Amino acid sequence: MFKRSIRGKVTLNLNFDERKVLRELFNQMHELLELPDVPEKSDPLAVLVGLDGPTQEPSDPAIARLFPSAYKDDEDAASDFRRFTEPDLRNEKLTNIELVSHLLETDSEKLELNSAQVNAWLRSLNDLRLVLGTRIGITDDYREKQSTDPGLHLYDYLTYLQSTLIEAL
Amino acid sequence: MSVAPIEIAETDLATARPWVTIVWNDPINLMNYVTFVFQDYFGYDKAKAEKLMLDVHNKGKAVVSSGTREEMERDVAAMHSYGLWATTERESS
Repeated sequence: MFKRSIRGKVTLNLNFDERKVLRELFNQMHELLELPDVPEKSDPLAVLVGLDGPTQEPSDPAIARLFPSAYKDDEDAASDFRRFTEPDLRNEKLTNIELVSHLLETDSEKLELNSAQVNAWLRSLNDLRLVLGTRIGITDDYREKQSTDPGLHLYDYLTYLQSTLIEAL
Repeated sequence: MSVAPIEIAETDLATARPWVTIVWNDPINLMNYVTFVFQDYFGYDKAKAEKLMLDVHNKGKAVVSSGTREEMERDVAAMHSYGLWATTERESS
C-alpha cells in the first residue's frame, strides 16, 4: 500500500507476491500497448513529419478506453485529434509502465517515491484498472451481481491500492 | 482611457471562448481520483473539484473548463492522460 511518511514522502509497501502480480499485469498491459495500431501502408513523408498517427479508435475495447474520442459528434475532428495526440499518449503510458515496472523489480518491500515516480504510479495504476475493468465488464452495479470472475479480485485489489495512493497525496 | 477599447476586448474574449471540455461519467474511475485530477490539473480548490466530480457522477457529465478550441484540446488530452473520459465541443448557448 501507499502511505505518506512522517517526512512527507510517499512510500510504497508491497510484499513479494504483490510485486509479482503487479509486474505480470503491467507486463501484459505493456505488450497490449505495444501492438501496432498504425495502418500498414504508411506514407513515408507522413511518418517523417509525424503525421502517421492512427485516425480510428483502437479495435480492442480495453485499449480504446485509454484513448477515447475527443469529439463526440465530429468524426473528422476526432480523427485529426487522434492522429496528432494518440502516439504521444501511447508513449507516455508505455514510459509510465516501464518506470513502475523497474521499481517493481527491486527486492525491497518498502520504497520511498519521488514525484515523477508517484506520477507514473498514479496514472499507470488507473490505466490498469481501466483495462482490467473494461475486460471484465465493470458496471455501476457490478457488486450486486456477485460475479465469480477471478479478475474481480485483482480489480478490487487495484482499487484498494489506488485508494491508498490518493489518500497519501 | 476611453471605453471603446475595453468593449472590443470583451467582445474578443466572448468570441474567443466558445469551446468547453466535458468529462463524462464511467463506472471505473474512482470518485476521489476524479476529484484529485480536477484539483491537480486545473488547480481547482477541493470544494469546486468535488462539485464537478459529483456532477459527473450524478448527471453523467460536467463542463470542467472553457476557452479556445486549442486550449480545450490541450485539456482533453490531459484528461485522457489521467484516464478520464473527456470530449470537447462548442459551448451550447
